[in-house]
Amino acid sequence: MRSTLRLAIFAVAAVVIGVLLLAEQLFPGTALGEFAAVLDAGYAASALRLSVPIAFAALGGIFAERSGVINIGLEGLLIVSAFTGVAVAHWLTGDGTAAVGPGIVLLLMIAVLLAISGALLGLLGDTFEEMAVRGGGGVLATAVLAGLTVALAGPTLAATWLAFYAAVLVSTAFALLFAVVTIEYRADQVIAGLAVWLIALGVAPFASNVIWGAVNSPGVDTLGTWTVPVLSELPAVGPVLFDAEPIVYFLLLATPLSWYVLAHTSFGYWVRASGENPKALDTAGVDVRRVRYAAVLLSGVFSGIGGAGLSLGRVGSFVGSGTTMIDGRGWIGITAMLFGNYNPFGAFGASLLFASLDALQFRLQQLNYAVPDSLMQTIPYVTVIVVLALVGRTRTPDAAGEHYDSDED
Amino acid sequence: MNTDRIPDPLAGLMGRLVDASAGERLVVSVAALFTAILVGGVVTLVAGVFATCSNPSLGIFCYNPFAVYRYLFLAPLYDPFVFQETLKNSALLLFTGLAVAVSFRAGLFNIGTQGQLVLGALAAALVAVWVGRAVPSGPIGGVLIAGVAMLAGAVVGGIYAAIPGALKAYADANEVITTIMLNFIASDVAFFLVSAYFQKPGSGSVETRDVPASAMFGPELALAMAILLVLAVTYILWGTAFGYDLRTAGIQPDAADYGGVDAKRMIVTSMTLSGAIGGLGGAVWVLMSVGRWVNGVPALGFDGITVSVLASNNPLGVLFAGPLFGSMQAGSLSIDFQLGVPRQLVGVIRGLVILLVAMPEFFRTLGVRWGMGGGR
Repeated sequence: MRSTLRLAIFAVAAVVIGVLLLAEQLFPGTALGEFAAVLDAGYAASALRLSVPIAFAALGGIFAERSGVINIGLEGLLIVSAFTGVAVAHWLTGDGTAAVGPGIVLLLMIAVLLAISGALLGLLGDTFEEMAVRGGGGVLATAVLAGLTVALAGPTLAATWLAFYAAVLVSTAFALLFAVVTIEYRADQVIAGLAVWLIALGVAPFASNVIWGAVNSPGVDTLGTWTVPVLSELPAVGPVLFDAEPIVYFLLLATPLSWYVLAHTSFGYWVRASGENPKALDTAGVDVRRVRYAAVLLSGVFSGIGGAGLSLGRVGSFVGSGTTMIDGRGWIGITAMLFGNYNPFGAFGASLLFASLDALQFRLQQLNYAVPDSLMQTIPYVTVIVVLALVGRTRTPDAAGEHYDSDED
Repeated sequence: MNTDRIPDPLAGLMGRLVDASAGERLVVSVAALFTAILVGGVVTLVAGVFATCSNPSLGIFCYNPFAVYRYLFLAPLYDPFVFQETLKNSALLLFTGLAVAVSFRAGLFNIGTQGQLVLGALAAALVAVWVGRAVPSGPIGGVLIAGVAMLAGAVVGGIYAAIPGALKAYADANEVITTIMLNFIASDVAFFLVSAYFQKPGSGSVETRDVPASAMFGPELALAMAILLVLAVTYILWGTAFGYDLRTAGIQPDAADYGGVDAKRMIVTSMTLSGAIGGLGGAVWVLMSVGRWVNGVPALGFDGITVSVLASNNPLGVLFAGPLFGSMQAGSLSIDFQLGVPRQLVGVIRGLVILLVAMPEFFRTLGVRWGMGGGR
């Protein structure tokens, strides 16, 4: 019944968009036609762009929650990565020159620290050799990625990409902290998630103030757009799908990839088992603890891409006033995850729905309609509440929110 | 150790919190507070390396954590202005901390105290201005205006909290997300209402007209009211049948249902009570601190979460945790002006306290490792 409701909501949304598109053709010049005229390719592109932080948070949330750890700190992870991306980019490019060298050093330092933490927590294996190979492999992969980026992009663009990678790693480190607190020290997941959010809400404006003397950062370069040569010439879909920001492509790749990993790989099977029946997984000889760590760290990686993708992808600065530039997108991502019933495609669709409302809100503001901005800003939030009320409780994984103790020790 | 297979994660948490003895929870809270202060000090020290020094005598470390904590905790003792601010903040945090504690006790994560406070404050300011026109000035008129305004704040805060309560009870909508969304909506709607209809003429910022001076009161009276409210709520929770139902509905909904309590209605009632206290806090903010509703309401609702969590959601504990954070909030302005340390540091400490209180296991492990016995 719930799934019917979900489909119904998607269908209604599709029909509304269709009717509006038709209205634009049939009644040009009328109020309705004018309203419908906002729905053009530019609108679709901005909806897709705005769905980036929401959808990545949702994808991360899916992995964590399916493994049995409810990560409601996603909003905090988005804030941390949005800030870190801009801070590092400003450090590397702020004085007009692009310092690629220090960027690589910083990136490798964070990678090494993460590898050491992972080894100390016993996540990389049991023997020293395993730890060295896996930890060293991770650091080496980071180094190769950084080297490739520098080789392929000009110095300023490469520095911005290095800042992006650093932001993703810092977000992962924050997720590791959350994982240690909830898995190792059995903290309540909801309270710990709230704490991650509130810490980020304090740390980002604090650090902005320390570095720039204000809660908002100065502007930095963005990651620009990637234009696919021939395909971007296609009518309608061309400018939306093939002349987009890099992070939008990442999202279009990450959604099916997440679905494939969850549904068709043994890691995905372990994640699902760890959330549904950890005892059985344990009996089968898989370390539940490591699976849960991996899933929570993945939620950190995804949120890092989403948060830095917002600040470095398009905006090119960090806004730390009030609820920061993230403005609840992590919470909306959690709702998208619930609405999509923990399915990556469903979560992506729901994120697109919320983002299209957000884009509509921005568009209507530009058109100077009689409805005041402050009321229009509430549209996405009100929709989230309506959707939650309609979809209600989803079938959460059986063991979500519970600790699992192996009886070995 | 896998015996507590209670399907609802909240029920598991509440069970664990109840299992822990009061003394153990006190130790955890104190240890968490000290650890948060320690970590906050390290953060301050490290942040100082990246800052531009106003006082170069400290070398590369621009910020001195000891000076920071002296301002945060001791400034009220020797600075009369900070003392007044501490009293005000303490009173307000008693209201918001209590509001959060009531909902957490009922097993509901009301993160929306902030929004309930914002709208409660707006209602109180508007009612005070409106009633103030009809009521003659003078002390009796002032008491009347303040009374009606606080009632309005409580009613609006209560109704606004009843919405997520009803959504939780009858539509199973997760109250953490709905209350956070309602926080965003509250500040946008309040901004719209004031800028469109209730704007103070000639003012550059978005604010209402001033409430009558006779209706304003000092922090001492506000503190007295807050303490009385804390005692009253303590009595209600532990001394009445209603309070018993509220607590059991939170800890064991099935048991409460079996005992004849309408658990769904109880959810709405507890949320309404929590929101009414938050709205009352908003009214006190208007009548004690600012004298009108002005855009940019401080994050008293979020601080209330920390106060409540630090107090193990115990109203009497709020009496200690509230003034502690009241002092820190008052001192945060001083560290900004006097030491150049951004006042958002208090926000960092706020989050750290919640994180650390949430992990009692960490302190148990430490206790065992340091040979203090105990453990599990």
